[in-house]
Amino acid sequence: MRALDIKKLSVQYHTEQGVYRALRDTDLYVEEGEITGIVGESGSGKSTAMLAVMGLLKKNAAVQSEKIAVCGEAPVPGVNVAMVFQDPQSCLNPTVKIGRQITETVRARRHCGRREARERAVELLDMVGISDGKKRMRQYPFELSGGMRQRVVIAIALACEPKLIIADEPTTALDAAVQAQILRLLKRIAEETGTSLLLVSHDLGVTASLCQRVYVVHEGEIVESGRVEDVFYDPQEEYTKQLLSSAKQKRKNGVTPGDQVILRMEHVTKEYNTRDGIRDISLDLRRGEVFALAGESGSGKTTLARVLTGILKEDGGVLYQNGQPLGQKRRDRGRNRVQMVFQDPYASLNPCLTAGQALEEALRGADSWDGSQRRRMGTVPARDNAAEKQFCSARRRDRKAERAARRKTICDMLERVGLTEEYMDKYPSELSGGQRQRIGIARALIVRPELLICDEALSSLDAVTQEQILDLLLGIQREQGIACLFISHDMHVIRRISSRMGVMYGGRLVESGKTREICSDPWHPYTKQLLEAVPEADPLRARRIRSLPLGKRTADKALSGKGCPFAGECGYVMGCCMEQVPEAYRFGERTVSCFLYSAEHSGRRGRDYIMTSQI
Amino acid sequence: MLRYTLKRILTGILALFVLACVTFFLVRLMPGSPFQTGSVSEQVVEAVEREYGLDRPLPEQFMTYMGNLLRGDLGVSYEDPGVKVMDIIGRTWRITASLGVPALIAAILIGTAFGILRAVTGRRIVRETISAVGMVLAGIPGFAVAILLLLLFSVQLGLLPASGLLTPAHYILPVTSLAVYPTAVITRLTGNALESEMEKEYVLFARAKGLGRKRIIFTHALKNAWRPVLNYIGPASAFLLTGSFVVESIFTIPGIGREFVNSITNRDYTLIMGLTVFMGAVVIGVNLVTDLLSAWLDPAVRRAYQEEAG
Repeated sequence: MRALDIKKLSVQYHTEQGVYRALRDTDLYVEEGEITGIVGESGSGKSTAMLAVMGLLKKNAAVQSEKIAVCGEAPVPGVNVAMVFQDPQSCLNPTVKIGRQITETVRARRHCGRREARERAVELLDMVGISDGKKRMRQYPFELSGGMRQRVVIAIALACEPKLIIADEPTTALDAAVQAQILRLLKRIAEETGTSLLLVSHDLGVTASLCQRVYVVHEGEIVESGRVEDVFYDPQEEYTKQLLSSAKQKRKNGVTPGDQVILRMEHVTKEYNTRDGIRDISLDLRRGEVFALAGESGSGKTTLARVLTGILKEDGGVLYQNGQPLGQKRRDRGRNRVQMVFQDPYASLNPCLTAGQALEEALRGADSWDGSQRRRMGTVPARDNAAEKQFCSARRRDRKAERAARRKTICDMLERVGLTEEYMDKYPSELSGGQRQRIGIARALIVRPELLICDEALSSLDAVTQEQILDLLLGIQREQGIACLFISHDMHVIRRISSRMGVMYGGRLVESGKTREICSDPWHPYTKQLLEAVPEADPLRARRIRSLPLGKRTADKALSGKGCPFAGECGYVMGCCMEQVPEAYRFGERTVSCFLYSAEHSGRRGRDYIMTSQI
Repeated sequence: MLRYTLKRILTGILALFVLACVTFFLVRLMPGSPFQTGSVSEQVVEAVEREYGLDRPLPEQFMTYMGNLLRGDLGVSYEDPGVKVMDIIGRTWRITASLGVPALIAAILIGTAFGILRAVTGRRIVRETISAVGMVLAGIPGFAVAILLLLLFSVQLGLLPASGLLTPAHYILPVTSLAVYPTAVITRLTGNALESEMEKEYVLFARAKGLGRKRIIFTHALKNAWRPVLNYIGPASAFLLTGSFVVESIFTIPGIGREFVNSITNRDYTLIMGLTVFMGAVVIGVNLVTDLLSAWLDPAVRRAYQEEAG
């Protein structure tokens, strides 16, 4: 008996623009106890198919099928089929305690009493790796970390005791280390309980690491299916090949950066929300390079970016711009020199401004300093009427010309980011995610910055769009020779585009150096863990990903306590790690902040001693 | 939260003080005197004013009044020297509250019920009817509602008494006319909030968990939809508890709203002051309570507060 059997499933959406066929004649099955994957870009109909199975589509969707069966029966959500959603933040009710959200599911399934449901809930939490279940059950979702929340969501899915769990992008919202934990957990659960798992994902690495069989969906149709090894190693269809090649693509950035340092941070510290702060960070950014910053969420990457842009002011340490210390005056003047592209293109554009207006605003903001300067030095109008009139009309003319010039700049910029002039009058709600991110990039680049900071600028986009935006960003970056600080938790992307990289943990920069060297030979224990946690789009390799132990990954403890922030989880921990913070040890291009590389622990050495990885 | 509460209470007291000052001087700017009733001669008026201390310079009067106010003494009514202002407030407010509280409860219950019905019903006709009727009722001014009800139920049909508050039946018409507008507004607010909550992903997840519809609406969606409603209930209850002059006049009810208007026509300085300060305190107090309640219902705020308290 198959756990899921779908024959000729079609879904149409009836919208105001007419009928949209989201899914056409899809055949799909999942064997009992099997983990099956569905891959495809967003909008390809993967999620629609899953919601159709659950019967959770909106009213404007028309579902047609010859057969949808879960173990031979009709699918009933919460009884024989359960679902794990992408974003645990939004699918847990923020005002209901964790315990209640689990027990109500247990009670709906088993029709049992409160006490029994509570005991079962603790059991379920234990199953998903939350040991202090009793305490956690009294907490609200906001008191849990992202990984914890996703564990709770999985526990709820398990509470239904389903035959089949559908996991829709279960790790997309999580960073690499937590992703590895959740993937392992899903695998273990599927094996232990014999539940079948249908994993929907746009990440080929995730699919490769878990699944036995895979379906490739493109524009509402299944283009290829088969064993993971067959599909990944020997793809038949053009689309599959394209997906795989974009995931495996090698380095993109061949440009050797210049040596001119445009921004330097020395021992910069910023306390921020007690968590998410940065401690004692020293960093160079050179003209024309792509510097990537990796690390789990809460490690201070965003705070670092904000200090660089001047949104936050550092508490200690010095920032140098082109060799000069950055004082208040220089900071004001240099405000446009650093621009930022934000993570969420939906939230970072004002919904009331058209694309053109948003860009014009950026331009005006950049001009305002020049403008005020001009006014201050002022061509003072003469007290003579005729001259004044002339002056006014000249100014009007000027303004008109200025406006036309601005419009021209905006059009050029839009074309530069791959959009046309027509997009000028469009509102963000009329644009797709990729188009919005293009506007976000245009907004940042239009003021001709020296440094562009991309804070997780790709993570809310699907694989194919990511690729396009990445090409665009790198193209412009190379052309204009600007430096780019690329913050990401996606190690694939970092590996491919950056020439140098830094790894952050607990607010400190634990390792930095050339990307190629760090990725092939990580020195710091945390970097090693981080790299090992990333699944590749290669089934045999991806299955070997090692999950990190679920330690007390709280950055605030690391910030407040003495000692190395990573000491609590490090497999190479020594006595001194608990007592004092390792300084940054420099070996050529590589800087690593770990006692394993200190003079005392690696032994006395001559000047020409070549340090190698100690782990 | 503790600090916030304290700050809110202090600003409330400050606002009350400013209110008292402004009213004190405004009242005395009004032409006429409490004792000028037409048939009385100038000399008598002056004599009485001297007795009440109204011939003193304004700052002195102000200091005396404020001193008394701090001691909780609102003075006696000028119009009816045998009666303390406190007693008048006590008497009239009890009547007003006896109308306002039922009206408020009715508005919350009926409004929420219809709001939920509007948000979750599958029938289009029900949804549209509730929306349309709500819109009309929110649009009719209060006095029109009162007069229409009066004409229909007591004049035409003779079912219900038209004035006074002798029996429970007497309450029906005034309470209804007070409750109509807040009910319509609460219906709309609940409906809108609930509708947008039902679109959220946690509702979808709850459905995927296999929960029943009732469960999802009452334990999940409604818990997140209260905020706009609560924000409205604050001002609405302040309005209902300080009395509606219009409704009290139409149904000839001796409530606090009518007393207030009468006191102004009579230039009854102490009574005006007393009623203003009292109503101000009610409005500020009610708003403070709803603000704190709305913060308290947010689990994140509550947790922060509990940690603060230890």
